[in-house]
Amino acid sequence: MTKYKLQLGAYPMDGSPRTPCAVLKDDTWSIPFAPDNTLYQEYLKWLAEGNTPEPAEETN
Amino acid sequence: MGIQTVSQALSNENGGSSPFGFKNRIINGAMVIDQRNAAASLNPADQAYSIDRWKCRRSQASKYTIQQNAGSVTPPSGFTNYLGVTSSSSYSLLSTDYFAVQQIIEGYNTSDLGWGAVGAQTVTLSFWVRSSLTGTFGGALNNGAEVRAYGFTYTINNANTWEYKTVIISGDTSGTWLTTNGIGLYVNFNLGTGSQYGSATNGSWTAGSTQFTPSGTVSVVSTNAATWYVTGVQLEKAPQATAFDYRDYGRELALCQRYYVQSNSAASGTQFMEITGRFTATTQATYTISLPVTMRAQPALSISPAYNFSGGWYANLAGITNYAWTSAPAAGTAYLNNSVWFYVSCSTITSSYVGLWTDPYCPTTASANYFAITAEL
Repeated sequence: MTKYKLQLGAYPMDGSPRTPCAVLKDDTWSIPFAPDNTLYQEYLKWLAEGNTPEPAEETN
Repeated sequence: MGIQTVSQALSNENGGSSPFGFKNRIINGAMVIDQRNAAASLNPADQAYSIDRWKCRRSQASKYTIQQNAGSVTPPSGFTNYLGVTSSSSYSLLSTDYFAVQQIIEGYNTSDLGWGAVGAQTVTLSFWVRSSLTGTFGGALNNGAEVRAYGFTYTINNANTWEYKTVIISGDTSGTWLTTNGIGLYVNFNLGTGSQYGSATNGSWTAGSTQFTPSGTVSVVSTNAATWYVTGVQLEKAPQATAFDYRDYGRELALCQRYYVQSNSAASGTQFMEITGRFTATTQATYTISLPVTMRAQPALSISPAYNFSGGWYANLAGITNYAWTSAPAAGTAYLNNSVWFYVSCSTITSSYVGLWTDPYCPTTASANYFAITAEL
């Protein structure tokens, strides 16, 4: 069973809160939110099937 | 168009293809580059890559292994490597089964074929193949959406003997064929497929779904220890096969790296000098990897867990366990296709270390430690 977990971006320079910028697949691939990336397309398909990623942790 | 088997290719002069490069739309057709597995045997997952650009398809686990130069036979004259498949059992195919190796060709690299309209260009697929089995083998081409399919067959006459095969394929005048960085074309070599994915029409284009072969072709995975080896795979815009388009190693590697880059640690205890970074906060370090070529898309990143994102001469921060991508401020797509910028969270460091240089460090054995970057199709 594929597992996805959201990842937070770096600390913004303006001090605003960190936001998810990527998703970690099976603790292996850090996948950018990039429409042309095949792994991201697979993630979108997985989302469309009704799945939900694990939330991001502040320490990721 | 029919199948043509000849003892040797026609010369370049007779082929009518461009002599200026990229005649062969197959990348790594001579099976030389193997970044991921370094010639080790692979029991592949579905959609896993064996040697560069060659993808494994399988509906059931552990029915075949795949390896560069499996079995260590002598390649055909002019080649030093081949891709080898070995069947792991005498598997009885289900109707929904599929086993194949495939190469997915980027749309930019098929854009001049003019497929999907009147005037679609003819292409020729040629390759050297060797099997412990004889008979009629199969394969198929599909468009990016996998709703157009062309089946082909070829005959292996003698067991355990390299034979040269050519398949002439009329261009498809229908369907949608991407001419961008998306999927232009699937080229499939069948290893055993049931009726659902194994009913392509032999020798013509038809609408439908994903297909790996026409029906009735040899199933390699159905004979225990059967072998199927291939090399010298070429797909060219030409009505006949011409000599294999040998490319220098550096260019072939660069072509592969548009889709996948892997760098292994040179030795235990060494830094990865391709990656440089600095501490940007007391709990965060950021790194940049300059990519050797522009990749097909913004890539995904994987780094061996054994990496220790140490602080070089300035700090020793064992226990950093995670990393993540982020979008660089004001960075565009082109920038991100050329380099990777990422960060890791780390144990809290002394505030005076913020801004100092840091690089990844491999404290353990080298072979399993690497970073990988993928923009595969």
